[in-house]
Amino acid sequence: MDKITVQGQTPPSNSNPAARAFRNPYIRYILFGVVIALLPLLAKSGVMPSSFLVNLGGVLIYSIVALGLNLLLGYSGLISLGTAGFMGLGAYISGYLSGTVGLPFLLTVLIAIAAAAVIGVLVGFVSLRVAGIYLAIATLCVSEILRKTFEELDQFTGGFSGLTAGYPTLFGFKLSREATFVLLTAALVLVMMLTHNLVNGQMGRALHAMRGSEVAAQAMGVYLLKYRLIVFAIASAYAALGGALYMHFIKFSYPAVWILTLSLNILAVVVIGGLRSIYGTVIGALIVFAVPDLLLKRIPVIGGIDGIAYIFTGVLIILVVMFYPSGVVGIGHDIKRLISRGRKGGAGNG
Amino acid sequence: MAKATHSGAALADGLVLDIHDLSIQFGGLKAVEALSFHVKEQEIFGLIGPNGAGKTTAFNCITQFYHPDRGQVVFRARDGRVLDLVGLPVHDIIRLGLVRTFQNVEVIKELTLIDNVLIGAHTDFKATILEQALRLPRARREEREMRAKAVRALEFMGIAHLKDAPAGGQPYGVLKKVEMARTLMAQPKLIILDEPAAGLNDSETAELAETIRRMRDEYRCTILLVEHDMRLVMNICDRICAISFGQFLACGTPGEIQGNKLVQEAYLGEEEPE
Ligand SMILES: Nc1ncnc2c1ncn2[C@@H]1O[C@H](COP(=O)(O)OP(=O)(O)OP(=O)(O)O)[C@@H](O)[C@H]1O
Ligand SMILES: [Mg+2]
Repeated sequence: MDKITVQGQTPPSNSNPAARAFRNPYIRYILFGVVIALLPLLAKSGVMPSSFLVNLGGVLIYSIVALGLNLLLGYSGLISLGTAGFMGLGAYISGYLSGTVGLPFLLTVLIAIAAAAVIGVLVGFVSLRVAGIYLAIATLCVSEILRKTFEELDQFTGGFSGLTAGYPTLFGFKLSREATFVLLTAALVLVMMLTHNLVNGQMGRALHAMRGSEVAAQAMGVYLLKYRLIVFAIASAYAALGGALYMHFIKFSYPAVWILTLSLNILAVVVIGGLRSIYGTVIGALIVFAVPDLLLKRIPVIGGIDGIAYIFTGVLIILVVMFYPSGVVGIGHDIKRLISRGRKGGAGNG
Repeated sequence: MAKATHSGAALADGLVLDIHDLSIQFGGLKAVEALSFHVKEQEIFGLIGPNGAGKTTAFNCITQFYHPDRGQVVFRARDGRVLDLVGLPVHDIIRLGLVRTFQNVEVIKELTLIDNVLIGAHTDFKATILEQALRLPRARREEREMRAKAVRALEFMGIAHLKDAPAGGQPYGVLKKVEMARTLMAQPKLIILDEPAAGLNDSETAELAETIRRMRDEYRCTILLVEHDMRLVMNICDRICAISFGQFLACGTPGEIQGNKLVQEAYLGEEEPE
């Protein structure tokens, strides 16, 4: 095995194997996943209300979707308000094919991903012509067209009344809710690792260059169109994966789910959690999709306010943009820096 | 407009770049007009002229950021092919061995210095995106090799100790070095530097002169530079081409250019370090 060096990380100086393993980003992703995969046990043993599991499963799904948007917005500087449409596309394709057609779950997920990636590529072409607010509007239109399609194609989607599905069947085993939760965790960890690899390699640098300086990117041989197409395809694929998992975890889908509000919430996840941060994206999803339901709504008076979730998210976005433009992960970094500065200062003076 | 034949262009032995009749207009403004000059292998060639003379525009026409209205840019690529660059896509230029820096440094603030430098090797990566996503052996090996190469480029520029620092917040002098290190990643045949000394102090400029010579000698490449610092230009350039209002004035050795009447007139009234 060769040593994996990640940008910004100095190689471990101590030889403690456990400490060294912990610095390996892949081991960290896996540990992270193992911890999350244990949550159903908490629910089973009654430490955590088992209804939390549905919320937290949603967080995992939205994390996958938001990682795709982070590739677009954070790394490449491309805006998209079309996330919900692609998620819905994945949900309906996977739900219809596994239910009515009876294809194996994994195959339906792959087909959903492929279909979304193809449409994502088409949006990528648009992104070469329009930028900024116009790209936002164009992607929103694509999403609305998709949603309209979900409404109209009711022989596939069930129209307004929606489509239902069961928990996935994997290799002949029908998964329980808890097992599906573990599957969601595995999918998220996989997507985190893939994203990590992509953003820390040649493609990631090309995306950074595309965002930071188009002229430098082009002079260094980055073909802007190619990378726009690729990154839109990947983001759409992540959204469709999230949608397919949603379909088989939440178990229903109707057109009114896949609306602008959802796309905006995913955008909030990325902005609040942290542009260009993988763990930050998960934290953002937790804040946007779990905190309002699991905490705020339980607080008396405040919890009773209509639309408390929107108010909460809105206020947070403003606070983050004003004080922590790099997202709430920035708070963690600042604390770490404060601690190490304190230590250094102490050593120097002592 | 793309030319019918990019290859099949002719270039005399010993030349790396031959610019012929290059012209471009913006609206009615003739930014570069019928400009011709040639650059020999492994020379340091200066392009000078007063502000707004069209130097950056000429560079942009060579590197295909602008597609010139008229003229040829015949280049001997790093694989020995001779071709006219006019009409080629801008992102295809670097893989021929022609790489540039920018008058206003263009580095990515959020990336570390070494990652900025690695962008210069973008076209030399062979691993597909799938191989990168899965970190398959070829992707890992390439990344490792390119990182080692980038460290050497940073060492060459004397800033290897900063390799893991983010580019944002670094002093201007360091960023200029990052840009130059980035050109060294591209297996350069011809490096184009747009005002490398701008914003540098005297000692940094002296160091720069030495660096440019070392780049030429150790990377065995040709340097084409625009510079307003006449002391630097006269010191390091083998030959110089002077332009004014987009038009050719003179071409020759530093001594010849200094003695040229047309050049002196063009610079009259310009504040100029002697
Ligand atoms: N994209 C453009 N559109 C319109 N005009 C342009 C464009 N690029 C350059 N010009 C004009 O062409 C002329 C030459 O500009 P250029 O930047 O090439 O000058 P320069 O010799 O590099 O000057 P400096 O020494 O100040 O960098 C200027 O009048 C400039 O305004
Ligand atoms: Mg200029």
